[in-house]
Amino acid sequence: MKTILVVDDEPDIRDSVKMILESRGYTVDTAENGDECLKKIKDSKPDLVLLDIMMPGTPVTEIVKKINDVKIAFMSVVRISEARKKGLCTKDNIVDFIQKPFDVGDLVGRVELILGE
Amino acid sequence: MGWEDEKSTLRKKIFSKISYKLTLLFFIVGVVAPSIGICYFYFLTSTIIPKETIAENRFLLESSLIMIISVIAIDTAIIGFFISKSISKPIKILSNATKEMERGNLKIQTDISTGDEIEELSKAFNQASSTLAKLDQNRREIDKAKTEFLSITSHELRSPMTPMKAQLQMLMNGYFGKLTNKQKKSLDIIVRNADRLDKIILDFLEISRIEAARLKFSFKKTDLVELAKEIVDFMDAFAKEKNISLKLKSTKTPIIEADPDRVSQVLRNLINNAIKFSKNNSEIKICIAPEDDHILFSVRDFGVGLSPEDQIRVFEPFYQTEDHSNRKHGGTGLGLAICRGIVESQKGKIWVESPGVGKGTIFYFTIPLKPVREIEPIKVLFSPRTIIEKKLKNEFQTMLGPLGISEFEELKNKNSLWEEDIMSYIDKLTNCYILNENQGDIFKNKIKKIFGDKKDIINDKPNIIKNDEVVKRG
Repeated sequence: MKTILVVDDEPDIRDSVKMILESRGYTVDTAENGDECLKKIKDSKPDLVLLDIMMPGTPVTEIVKKINDVKIAFMSVVRISEARKKGLCTKDNIVDFIQKPFDVGDLVGRVELILGE
Repeated sequence: MGWEDEKSTLRKKIFSKISYKLTLLFFIVGVVAPSIGICYFYFLTSTIIPKETIAENRFLLESSLIMIISVIAIDTAIIGFFISKSISKPIKILSNATKEMERGNLKIQTDISTGDEIEELSKAFNQASSTLAKLDQNRREIDKAKTEFLSITSHELRSPMTPMKAQLQMLMNGYFGKLTNKQKKSLDIIVRNADRLDKIILDFLEISRIEAARLKFSFKKTDLVELAKEIVDFMDAFAKEKNISLKLKSTKTPIIEADPDRVSQVLRNLINNAIKFSKNNSEIKICIAPEDDHILFSVRDFGVGLSPEDQIRVFEPFYQTEDHSNRKHGGTGLGLAICRGIVESQKGKIWVESPGVGKGTIFYFTIPLKPVREIEPIKVLFSPRTIIEKKLKNEFQTMLGPLGISEFEELKNKNSLWEEDIMSYIDKLTNCYILNENQGDIFKNKIKKIFGDKKDIINDKPNIIKNDEVVKRG
């Protein structure tokens, strides 16, 4: 049973992503911001973190530095340029960029690809 | 004490006008100097030189006269030189200050204390320049506020779309149970309009961001060929859906200062359009080549092509061709307007050529080799062509009365609202004596002024491509 941690400051998005992925058989936990995300990772390491790029609190770039050994996929409402993507992909464990609003099928497909099913 | 005050007020009064100063000068030169000369001459003749010997001493007298006149002349010249300097020097200061302002240095002030009208001018200049500087500062602050506002609201505007679309899709896909047909149909309508709304918001945000984002161009050394390769690779995925092959041809291009994100945006948009309007199993050719002072990009497809009318209007905001592909693929008609905005703000040019409907299209754009110092405001929602047509209509009405409007409409319908066509039309009018030669010339000059700079592509009639060769009109 693969576990996914969904991190987004908007409760509706957390709920929606959780609903989608749980229906596909994943165990999903959620976090509201970067700090809570780090705490939850420390408590029990997920297989994948879906991380919203723009959240209040500690900037995501700082949070990402502290996450190792866990795959990370960024989510973003703002269109990210290719150059910015390169700038954000500073570590090997950053595996994907998901544009919001996403297509449900697309999200599921990407997650399945990342978690190797 | 009183006399000192009176003296200084008197001096102030004399120096307060250039005309007083000059009058004083001429008074000195015209009256005082000759008077001194004549007195001296009189002195010579009546005392030093005895009356009887005047004839013998003629040489002495004449040379003295010449000397006196020379001295007066030289003194006049010297005084005149200094007075004119005192006028021209402050004028030079003012003119230099004005040139500085034109260069963009709006905070310049002048310091002139000649006590006369030029000092008044300098004070007025200083006030004007500080007002201008304030207005400019204001404008910059408003721009900054606009951009900040936009970046905050863009996040807010688009966020609700995510959970909305996610839930709708889950409903549609039966995540919450099977749906009746009516329910499916209803959801279909909702989803479609949610998508439309999302696209409109996106485009609107894009334009607002571009129009306010003069501040946000980030120029850096860019290898445009590498950039093009990346984009072609990226777009290949979409092209494959219609089995279209993307071919990139590049000539060695120097690395220049450009904003890679903006250039990508334009290129991606053009390739996207090319894919959209191409049939399956066709080809799209993309070329980059350096030319004298710019780098030329072109995207060529062999799809539906553009009619001459479309070719002119395709860059207009919200303009979409009467093609079914557009309805199918959505789009708000802003893509090309945004491209034009981006290209022109960097002082590049963008234009299109097409042999006609069904015969494919080539889009060209240029990026200048030398980067732009000050980015021009990008005007996406502004179409130069419509403004030109309005001006032409006015001119026709002025020159030809009420008949002018119907003549204008007729030319418009025949797609003859181009400089050369209008010129030959005016010639016809003159030949039939409807206008006399003078009126004809006036009319022609007005039309020339409206079309302006010949280098502006938008004012040229679209070229025809015959057998892969470009035949330039006229």
